[in-house]
Amino acid sequence: MSISVDEIKWLAKLSKLDFDDERAAAFSGDFDEIVEFADRINSQIAGDTTKIREVGGSEIAFADLRKDEVKESLPVEKVTSNVVSEGGYFTVRRVVK
Amino acid sequence: MKYELVSGLETHVELATATKIFCSCTTAFGGAPNTHCCPVCTGQPGALPVLNKRVVEFAIRAGLALHCKINTVTHLDRKNYCYPDLPKAYQISQFDKPLCEHGYVELESGKKIGITRIHIEEDAGKLVHDRGFTFVDYNRGGVPLIEIVSEPDISSPEEAREYVEKLQLIMRYLAVSDCKMQEGSMRCDVNISLRPEGADYLGARTEIKNMNSMSFIEKAMEYEYSRQAEILSSGGKVEQATMRYDEHTGETYVMRTKEDAQDYRYFPEPDLPTIIIPEEEVQKAQASLPELPLEKLKRYRDMLQLSDHTARQLYKYKAVCDFFESCINSGASARNSANLITGAIYSRFATEEQKEKFSLPFDAAQFAELVKLLDSGKINPTLAQMTLSKMLTNGGKVSDYISTEDVKGVDEGELEKLCREAIAANPQAVADFKAGKEKAISALYGYIKRATQGKADIRAADAIIKRLL
Amino acid sequence: MTATLKQLSRLLRDKEISSVQLTRKYIEVIENRDPQINSYVTRCFDEALLAAERADKMIARGEAAPLTGIPFALKDNICTDGIETTCCSKILSGFKPYYDATAYKKLKDICAPLLGKTNMDEFAMGSTSETSCFGAPKNPRDLNRVTGGSSGGSAAAVAAGLAPFALGSDTGGSVRQPAAFCGVVGFKPTYGAVSRYGLIAYGSSLDQIGAIALSVEDAAIVFNAVKGEDERDMTSRKCPDIGELTGDIKGMKVGVVSEFFEGLSPEIKGAVERALKGLESCGATICEYSAPSLKSALPVYYIIACAEASSNLGRYDGIRYGFRAQNYSSVDDMIIKTRTQGFGKEVQKRIMLGTYVLSGGYLDAYYKKACLLRESIKEDFNELFERCDILVAPTAPNTAFPLGYTQNNAVEMYLSDMCTVPVNIAGLPAVSLPCGSDKSGLPIGVQIIGSPFNDSTTLNAAHALELCGVSKCKPEKGGVEL
Repeated sequence: MSISVDEIKWLAKLSKLDFDDERAAAFSGDFDEIVEFADRINSQIAGDTTKIREVGGSEIAFADLRKDEVKESLPVEKVTSNVVSEGGYFTVRRVVK
Repeated sequence: MKYELVSGLETHVELATATKIFCSCTTAFGGAPNTHCCPVCTGQPGALPVLNKRVVEFAIRAGLALHCKINTVTHLDRKNYCYPDLPKAYQISQFDKPLCEHGYVELESGKKIGITRIHIEEDAGKLVHDRGFTFVDYNRGGVPLIEIVSEPDISSPEEAREYVEKLQLIMRYLAVSDCKMQEGSMRCDVNISLRPEGADYLGARTEIKNMNSMSFIEKAMEYEYSRQAEILSSGGKVEQATMRYDEHTGETYVMRTKEDAQDYRYFPEPDLPTIIIPEEEVQKAQASLPELPLEKLKRYRDMLQLSDHTARQLYKYKAVCDFFESCINSGASARNSANLITGAIYSRFATEEQKEKFSLPFDAAQFAELVKLLDSGKINPTLAQMTLSKMLTNGGKVSDYISTEDVKGVDEGELEKLCREAIAANPQAVADFKAGKEKAISALYGYIKRATQGKADIRAADAIIKRLL
Repeated sequence: MTATLKQLSRLLRDKEISSVQLTRKYIEVIENRDPQINSYVTRCFDEALLAAERADKMIARGEAAPLTGIPFALKDNICTDGIETTCCSKILSGFKPYYDATAYKKLKDICAPLLGKTNMDEFAMGSTSETSCFGAPKNPRDLNRVTGGSSGGSAAAVAAGLAPFALGSDTGGSVRQPAAFCGVVGFKPTYGAVSRYGLIAYGSSLDQIGAIALSVEDAAIVFNAVKGEDERDMTSRKCPDIGELTGDIKGMKVGVVSEFFEGLSPEIKGAVERALKGLESCGATICEYSAPSLKSALPVYYIIACAEASSNLGRYDGIRYGFRAQNYSSVDDMIIKTRTQGFGKEVQKRIMLGTYVLSGGYLDAYYKKACLLRESIKEDFNELFERCDILVAPTAPNTAFPLGYTQNNAVEMYLSDMCTVPVNIAGLPAVSLPCGSDKSGLPIGVQIIGSPFNDSTTLNAAHALELCGVSKCKPEKGGVEL
């Protein structure tokens, strides 16, 4: 199975990655390889896939959920400590040339 | 051709929990930017969600009140989309196993609007665009929501409004949300399609996003109805689209069409185990449900014999109902309690919000004392009103304003003496009355009221005067 | 003398050495030796010495826990308050978390000095540690070979004697395989036994923090120190303490599943068979089984891990932390450019695969099927553990690759995980320990796999292999010696 350049661009759009025509074309070989690899499951299974099973499969009892008790939030200086912030906000300049 | 409107609503309701859905930060509205935040609700690498039990409890209550079936084995899913207000680039929501399914909301006409599902999810943060910058505040990020999805059973803007009002009132009765549309704690997405009257298929639909007022919902639906009707009657096709309503122009416009539809890539949230809810919890929640709005309205009319108008003025506000009921439970009459509440007390509250809050400088027991004096005829309505007015202004107890002396009233002998005085002092009024002017007698009442500072029982005085004349 | 944790703990307690002295020794060897190995990407010696001072006081007060005062290394995907944590990715360059991962916090609280953060494959995606933005770490046993991955830096640091123990993370073998390649012990506990809070997620339903050390006993000591249910991680669970390991495995039933042995080189097969003989000599009985579902384990793993990763890595948008691209035309453009420039090739490939298997048209064909197959793999393991106590398998079908080799052999790299991924798919505990070497002298690892929350049984069987002399583990010369 081969993935078209258009399909790669669609996936890139969903993934918020930039794949222009050139890069998508160059990537398609690599991607085919890993998709083919994933495709190996199709030789392993036939039948019902209608019900998604729980991933991880662990369970938690209702009684063990978190209590609704407020704990102090972090100081805004910490929350924004990894960026240059303004007035406590995370900021992005909308256009930078 | 006549077209009929087919509409379903997706209503987001912010739950009134103390903490966010996946962390222990406060849900308080407002606050300086990013001050109600932690690693979890700002999507820091390595942070994990921890589900708030009360969110599940509230959602179950909401589900039961809307006659839903509760899925006692449920899980959360990730809805993946990238937007700066969504710090993890996925919203933790529910996809194939919502907590509640298959319920309904009953309208006053008896029509039932089906509820497809209710699921729990997290709210996003807020973006502010200014001076060429986008500012991001995650205080609201992670506030718990329930999304209530209705069947396309709504066939007019008026029905939509009633449906939303009913939902709002039910949620408030349950105390699971304050449902303030203006603060965004209740918002609706409205799906609309048209079909020829009597047809049994569904037309292409549009979805108007994020409506935050009842009247906008109605107006937007009316506008969208005529827009689609125009397209259809001129032989065109309605394009499936997501729209926004511009409250200034009163028009809807397209945000995105089917072509740029999202692919949310839902899958089970691996950071949260499957939740197992014991059947007893559901039964417990069912047993603890309060009387719901329509039941209450009916009881106020039928059992308490209030007028439809008065009953509606009371039942619209949960806090008022609580106050009113506590008052009649301490022996005050329903009629006098209701009249004083919807009269003197409501006159002090200018806004709906104040009535919803219903904060008074005295408690229901004090109010009941006053009403009981009125009920027993120990004071007359005028004195009751006057006293209530003072209590509303200055607070305090009934006994601060009415003495035992006052309550005794005026005895029969004294009253007769006063009546004679009144007749003597108002010869013209007496003459007029005798000549058939019934109203003229009020001058005599006035005399007695003044003389007793409102303490006399005017009905008794009336009987005496008529006997004397 | 090899510095095992047990010995170090005793020396510290008997005050034959102070934690400060011990920490200085490690700092010195790291400075001398690590430029060749590249196992540390961030060093925090000042903080380590301060912790060592506190540790010495704690020891003096008689309040020491087994690991108090013993320095260690942490994989760079485990969050450390105020200390750079980058997952060896450009996109997290400069990122300093303001919170501690629970596992790290437990060590910090008992004053174990953190020497630094170790090299790894970018976002733990790889089996050689070569996708690190800091360049590959080198295998201390042969500097022309890879360390394995993704916890390559942690394994290399321990093998080179640059840390007495390290924490790594294991999503598909990332603790066990580098331990095998570097000739040390790597223990991946039962899924949920160690909190994942603060472990930067790759495949959330598979990720598990594990220990790398020089002996099975050491791995058990580390596990005891970091395990436990955590209110910040709803998937974490209580796990019983590992008591004194006796190595007594008399009567234990050891399962051998043929699917783990397909296509093995005779050298590796031979080494694992010697380990089996060793277990037999300790009184265990060996039984052979087959579990056909294991054949689908690799693609199931890649589908589920990449699906979860594509979602987990969505948050790196340049807004709240880490790298942000320059020159963009809109916020959305900034996000796209940040991600395209910030993520390496392998990470982008896996994000794309994850997006692909979850997207509308392919969800049924890949993701849902993978979930179903995952269930059958779990069921097969359940059945196996009804019939035997532990399973024995090779850790990897090969020894350490030459550096650069997998660049053009991606599928071969994926295949090298075939013995480790089934364990993650089923959430089982497993330990890899050395069981010999190939003709070039490269270490071979054998894997002991247990049933969920029988971490103790698993480690005890591994310890038996140490006692009977099959498994020996020594750091390279040039590291800390006592």
